[in-house]
Amino acid sequence: MTKRILLYGTLTLGAFVAVFPYLLVVLTAFKTQSQLNSTEPWVPGLPPTTANLTKLLGGDFPRYLVNTVLMTALLTLGQLVFTTFAAYAFARLRFRGREVLFWLYVATMMVPSAVTMIPLFLIMRELHLVNTWYGLLAPYVLGTPYGIFLMRQFFRGLPAGLEEAARIDGAGPLKILTRILLPLCRPAIGTLTIITVISSWNSFLWPLIITSGDDTKVMTVALATLNRGIGVDYNLIMAGGLIALVPMIAIFIFFQKYIVRSVVLTGLK
Amino acid sequence: MRWRRDWHAYLFIGPSLLGVLAFLLLPMVIVFVLSFFHWELLSPPTFAGLDNYRRLAGDGESWHSLWITVVYVLLCIPLQTVLALVLALLLNQRIKGVRVFRSLFVVPWMATPIVMGLVWNWIFDPRDGAINSALAVIGVTGPDWLSDATWALPAVALVNVWQYTGYNMLFFLAGLQGIPQELYDAAATDGATPRQRFWRVTLPLLNPTMFFVMVTNLIGAFQVFDTVFVMTNGGPSKSTEVINFKIFGTAFREFDFGYASTLSMLLFAVILGVTLVQVRFFGKRTTYDMS
Repeated sequence: MTKRILLYGTLTLGAFVAVFPYLLVVLTAFKTQSQLNSTEPWVPGLPPTTANLTKLLGGDFPRYLVNTVLMTALLTLGQLVFTTFAAYAFARLRFRGREVLFWLYVATMMVPSAVTMIPLFLIMRELHLVNTWYGLLAPYVLGTPYGIFLMRQFFRGLPAGLEEAARIDGAGPLKILTRILLPLCRPAIGTLTIITVISSWNSFLWPLIITSGDDTKVMTVALATLNRGIGVDYNLIMAGGLIALVPMIAIFIFFQKYIVRSVVLTGLK
Repeated sequence: MRWRRDWHAYLFIGPSLLGVLAFLLLPMVIVFVLSFFHWELLSPPTFAGLDNYRRLAGDGESWHSLWITVVYVLLCIPLQTVLALVLALLLNQRIKGVRVFRSLFVVPWMATPIVMGLVWNWIFDPRDGAINSALAVIGVTGPDWLSDATWALPAVALVNVWQYTGYNMLFFLAGLQGIPQELYDAAATDGATPRQRFWRVTLPLLNPTMFFVMVTNLIGAFQVFDTVFVMTNGGPSKSTEVINFKIFGTAFREFDFGYASTLSMLLFAVILGVTLVQVRFFGKRTTYDMS
């Protein structure tokens, strides 16, 4: 019995620590400045106020939010399409140079993004794409070797000869991919989508480097610079944080099963 | 027919191959070449031979940055790996509410690092922050955390531990569930104590998982940037100026792209070295299926 209490005690404490910062975001976002000063951080301010959210949404923030949504949507769409294409070819088509190319992809999985930041910026500068949507999206929209590796593993797991009947009926590779293989790939597609959405939504360093104007500024960059102003207004920052976190929490609630499975899929074999 | 099938495949691969060549391979070549040049953007680059590397050899600040990064990695990785493994062992039992706990522990992983950096800024606030407020309740005066050169780096590392422990826990959980029950039964028949079962059965069989977790976490931790940017901006007195932050500053604040490239090569070499050591270490004990 004591063992059980100890177990649940530990787990509850851990879960509390995991969730506490989120709780803080929510509580603070709905506090007035005076409530912020007069209450402990973990005590809700009563009555709650929506003034911070209103103030934030009345300024430039919605633009940055829209930019983030757009960036996430385009990156996810591009990565899904191009990753699936490449993974399909590597897994189910035979062509000259397949092994060499695949090992090239696997080798580039090892390239740390921090190391390519400077040359990527210089490439974009040379192409006059600094501070443009093209520059922001180009390096990541064509798919990542990591995602391709993942999807390829999944495609290879599908039974051999699945395509034979369709091929005899004269279906081309694109038709085989979209009509026969993709419907069987829903778990893998779901996983890839979630990984891409999260990493695009949260991305910071590349947007920070490549964008400067309001037209391409994303939320993470806006929030980080909001923090740099004189006299940090925590309520306002937390209101922004809340807006940034809500979609992630929603994804989490709706796709829990996929997320857990995605980890199993990415981690082993 | 063969050329036609090939042609299709190349079409499918084309876009991603462009990406790999233009945005991964070409940048690696550029950063390598640039590390032998002086370039401050306004004037054309000039060949510098080994100047940048000589400068690096005598540049105490850069070595300090690398050292800070290593300390950061050593603060994060053992702690979050052990915690993740312990949590996974606790949650690999048939107990009530196990799913809820699993989910709650993964929640931090989804958080935008920038936002969480900002939240933790405030949790670490010396006067109004949650940690020092809680410490005050029990009569302890907490340190100034982020404005204290001793505590700033551990504080940033703690955020990383918070963010990734639950995520890693899921990998271990998946690994644990892949261990056949018969092995435990056999061990029990042979009279193995729970402790022996852990060290002799569980841990060796978790080797592929451990390998994956260690490699990916180390590669990530060596490149830490976001949390440092919002929490400490490298300070106080450069005590959190990790190498990726140093590279960023050298390039985009001092516009010294040649030297920043040399620093990038240093980071690349370190990450490659650390990864290869792990491949060696784990490779002896595990077969990792890449095919």
